Amino acid sequence: MGFGPPYDVKHPLLHDEASMKASTHEKRTGKVYLRELFGALLAYALLLAASIHFGRPMDDGVLRTVVLLSPMIGFCFMLWAIARHLGRLDEYLRRNLLESFALAAALTAGLTFSYGFLETAGYPRLSMFAVWMVLCASTVLVTTVRALRQR
Amino acid sequence: MKNSIRALRADQGWSQADLAERLDVSRQTINAIETGRYDPSLPLAFAISRLFGLPVEAIFSPDQETA
Repeated sequence: MGFGPPYDVKHPLLHDEASMKASTHEKRTGKVYLRELFGALLAYALLLAASIHFGRPMDDGVLRTVVLLSPMIGFCFMLWAIARHLGRLDEYLRRNLLESFALAAALTAGLTFSYGFLETAGYPRLSMFAVWMVLCASTVLVTTVRALRQR
Repeated sequence: MKNSIRALRADQGWSQADLAERLDVSRQTINAIETGRYDPSLPLAFAISRLFGLPVEAIFSPDQETA
């Protein structure tokens, strides 16, 4: 039944803009996306655990570098899942999502670039991993603000 | 671009979700088109036209007619 309106009357004048009922298109694309994304996340988590367990104690060298970098295979699967999801979405949702990604990337660039200047001013040096976390937070922020503005 | 999709949909007694199902798009897409926030691509405009049995120009019109 989902999150449909609390009435059964399907009168067109009862505008359902506020309804959260997902169409077949949304359910189908969402289900496949979640399956692929969680599969990629599982692959990432397994590779990460393996790289920490086996890679950290290894002697320095090319093999250690490759093992420590191996979680990126799972990360690439995640990118592949997102790219496939973009291809399945309808044209409006795809445009909306790509705009959100672009704005989030711009926000991330602004924040990380600013922090670069702050590091010169004496702020603590951060790992490059922080960029990814800022990008995730920016994407969540941008998509949430845009969704609220469109209500 | 203006359109008469909301009125045509109302004539058929369809909700936005019903129309989205028939066009295999999301309900947000229908809402964005009806409220003028999004102009559909030509393939989607023709799909809408086929569904309502009307020519595209009877459903969509420019905001201001050019000379």
